[in-house]
Amino acid sequence: MKLRLARRLFGAYGVLFLVFVYAPIVMIVAFSFNSNPINMMVWSGFTFDWYWTILGYPTELNEDTLYVESTDQLLAAVKNSLIVAAFTTTISTVLGTMTALALFRYRFRAQRFYQGLLYMPMVMPDIVLGIALLVFFVSIGMSLGLYSIIIGHCTFLISYVFVVVSARLAGMDNTLEEASADLGANEWVTFRRVTLPHIAPGVVGGALLAFIISMDDLVITYFIAGVDSTTLPLFIYGMLRRGVKPEINAIATLMLLFTFIIASLGLYLRRRS
Amino acid sequence: MRDAGSPGSGSPVAEVFDAVKRFTAPEGGTVTALDQVSLAVSAGEFVTLLGPSGCGKTTLLRCISGFEDLDSGEVRIDGTPMTGVPAQHRPVNTVFQTYALFPHLRVEANVAYGLEVTGVPRRERVERVAQALEQVGLQGLERRKPDQLSGGQRQRVALARAIINRPALLLLDEPLSALDRNLRHSMQLELKTLQHELGICFLFVTHDQEEALTMSDRIVVLNHGRIEQIGTPEQLYHTPATTFVAEFIGDGALFSGTVEGGPDPAIVTGDGLRLTIRDGVPAGRRMTMLLRPEQLDAAPAAADPAFGIVEATLEQSVFYGATRQLVCRLASGAALTVTPSPGGEGDRLYRAEPGDLLRLAYRRAEPHLIEEAHDGG
Repeated sequence: MKLRLARRLFGAYGVLFLVFVYAPIVMIVAFSFNSNPINMMVWSGFTFDWYWTILGYPTELNEDTLYVESTDQLLAAVKNSLIVAAFTTTISTVLGTMTALALFRYRFRAQRFYQGLLYMPMVMPDIVLGIALLVFFVSIGMSLGLYSIIIGHCTFLISYVFVVVSARLAGMDNTLEEASADLGANEWVTFRRVTLPHIAPGVVGGALLAFIISMDDLVITYFIAGVDSTTLPLFIYGMLRRGVKPEINAIATLMLLFTFIIASLGLYLRRRS
Repeated sequence: MRDAGSPGSGSPVAEVFDAVKRFTAPEGGTVTALDQVSLAVSAGEFVTLLGPSGCGKTTLLRCISGFEDLDSGEVRIDGTPMTGVPAQHRPVNTVFQTYALFPHLRVEANVAYGLEVTGVPRRERVERVAQALEQVGLQGLERRKPDQLSGGQRQRVALARAIINRPALLLLDEPLSALDRNLRHSMQLELKTLQHELGICFLFVTHDQEEALTMSDRIVVLNHGRIEQIGTPEQLYHTPATTFVAEFIGDGALFSGTVEGGPDPAIVTGDGLRLTIRDGVPAGRRMTMLLRPEQLDAAPAAADPAFGIVEATLEQSVFYGATRQLVCRLASGAALTVTPSPGGEGDRLYRAEPGDLLRLAYRRAEPHLIEEAHDGG
């Protein structure tokens, strides 16, 4: 009797937990299809109009509210975010992987200390990192723009890639590389044919993680973005300051969809290897 | 070194001169893994490096394959000094203890690896892979991945992969230690056959003396980074150069003492035991006598100057099928194992009960004597 009650309570707890986590997200997706332009909380019918609105097409709903002039800015922000994410992902994946390989292969003085320094950016408060980067860029006289955002993102995303690739390397048998050399392969061939295939899931995973984090970073980017380098999170933040408009729901839903696609791609690649 | 049995046919394939290798121990200080090691192996020879774990045998192998550099000394392969030559340019291949098969490659790609990275054309590659797989008996498993193979099959893939480049010398680092007993035994014989077919030199590392005795043309016994003895299995068994070799290979009891001359020469041990030995050993020397279980039998009824006599109490009589092993203890407390030959005098020993006092005899010309100076300790 007691046991059944306990089991039910546990079940209820599980449901409540999921509601707690996902209700806001489900709501935002639902609201993005609500045709009520005044109050999002009141359902007045299904519509795709908010999506048309953010893409700049005139609809019945936006005739008077008109967000259309900001569509160009939105697309520019998306473009900026994609440029930043693409460069950041490439640079941090290459450097993070190289760092992981170097620390795996060589033993040197103060290795632990060095490793600790690599973990630091992940636990450092974003706001501190953001301010520090801003002060640094200004003091060396570098103008803020996409470059500064890319450099800023790389400073902490290298750490993320490093951690993911290191975990993968830890499970690798050293003798695999020795076997390759023994059979006549030089270092480059050994890396390409033995080491890289082994760590590939980690490299891909680290790259996807870096891409997603770079795409939605707000706090650090806020400090180091220049006037013409508004990214998507900054743009949304700017919109919110002018009031919560239904279009924001549509933008959030699209971002959610995009993230899902990236994550599924990662899972698919991992399963295939 | 002393007792270096005659090498196989032809000039040496690999030579090691005065190899010294030291490691820094994790807790500080240095460990000498190889101490003035010299040896030469010839084409077609099966040579085993034998010794307890930590004796330096794997280090020696890694110095030959090029994964470690010597601190001093030299490795030569086919007469060419290998100092500064990286592993990928040495004409040797290795079968690793863990096999080290590439997990993401199929069997055929694993075996073909050595040909591919050295630029052998595709048609020749296919031919040679098929040939190597046939030699190790793995036809039909070309498309499998390593994790779909049994331990024995993986072992064969590792072997096929290592012989595909036709090395001058094949190094095998305890390749059988992960297999179960039965498989291990059949693989020992197969390896020996394969080595004979290929005609290349195998340098085989093991800590299992039985394995070494079964497979080798010559055995190199290593201890604490030094060579104790190099010789054929028979030489090591019958005439060990040091007490370490005598204890490490085969069963037997060792008695150390001073040689006493006269008409009935003997070794007298510290606790007063007197063991008759062969004639012609200078008196006063410190010697160790090795008594193998099969050298002992029941003492003949009549006194005979050709025999030495020991008295011992039977502790246990263990049945082994074809033979029986008697575990005895001398008055001094030393243990002695006896495997009497069945029939004749031995039958008496077969019927003995634990607690009986046995009169045992050995032909005094038979037991091997080791001079103390050779102990190197």
